[in-house]
Amino acid sequence: MKVLLIIPAYNEEKNILKTCKKIEEHSKKYDYIIINDGSKDKTGDICKKNKLPCINLIHNLGIGGAVQTGYKYAYENDYDIAIQFDGDGQHDIRYVDTLIKPIELGQTDFVIGSRFVKKLSKFKSTGVRRMGINLISFFIKIFTGRKIHDTTSGFRAVNKKIIKEFSMNYPTEYPEPVSTTTLLKMGYRVDEVPVEMNEREAGVSSIRAWKNIYYMINVILSICIVSIRRYK
Amino acid sequence: MSISLQLVSLLFILVILFFVIYILRKGRITVKYSLIWIFAVVVLLLLLLFPKLFIELTKILGFNVGSNMVFAGLIAMLMFINLSLTVIISGQSNKVRLLIQEVSLLKTKIEKQEK
Repeated sequence: MKVLLIIPAYNEEKNILKTCKKIEEHSKKYDYIIINDGSKDKTGDICKKNKLPCINLIHNLGIGGAVQTGYKYAYENDYDIAIQFDGDGQHDIRYVDTLIKPIELGQTDFVIGSRFVKKLSKFKSTGVRRMGINLISFFIKIFTGRKIHDTTSGFRAVNKKIIKEFSMNYPTEYPEPVSTTTLLKMGYRVDEVPVEMNEREAGVSSIRAWKNIYYMINVILSICIVSIRRYK
Repeated sequence: MSISLQLVSLLFILVILFFVIYILRKGRITVKYSLIWIFAVVVLLLLLLFPKLFIELTKILGFNVGSNMVFAGLIAMLMFINLSLTVIISGQSNKVRLLIQEVSLLKTKIEKQEK
């Protein structure tokens, strides 16, 4: 099976090379593609110099638009499985195997690498964040009937059907919880697998507005709206 | 309504109308999006040219004073225009995103082939 790691990177000059080295050391089985989301630092130059496979977006799109570009690339190049993998060293390459296993066995369509299932990860995020994640989880449960523990995890694997789906439609605002809700509503099989995550080594999280109530309201509203949409 | 107020209003409406037509001719606005403004101007013009209609309408809708109806009407109109602008912007940002993605993918493909 052809497996692609999609690595969205915005201003990750300090981490990107290390992340790619780790992937290559771990296994040659997996292809990866960096989506350089119009970084203002040297991320693009580092990719070019080290000949890392990279798509340079001609303008910053934000995490959702960047990841979708990766799915488009995966679709065009006929990959069977695509995995979102952060460029900041937060995700552990060793867990890619566990992440894609249920998909390889055909048991599920979409796998989320979760910090909160079975309590494997030492890094749990801060209290406020956890509260936010739990609140989103609660609303997803209300609207879809499924309990998703790590709603904002960016470590996710999808099968071929969803690669096609995501390459056509992917939410640009609050992509993780919204896309999960959409898939559940569309009747896809979604699973969570316990993974460990590290604290980011350098750089800034894409979710800066965490402490902001505004963010929470927006996410919850998005989930509501996605839930009342019609899917054929 | 006094004659002078009527004249000032008429002038104001005509300025908007001619400005819309002007930017339309210059191609700075598309016909599709100018329609809403032309429609608004026509409604204002009708109310101005037929004060009786205006007064009747005020009574029917239950406004105490005519000016209140004008304010309410204008606010409603501006809200509608604003909302339709938001719709247009959302559509355009989707298109821009699509363009950026496709161009970036193509660029990568071309650079790969050139090597």
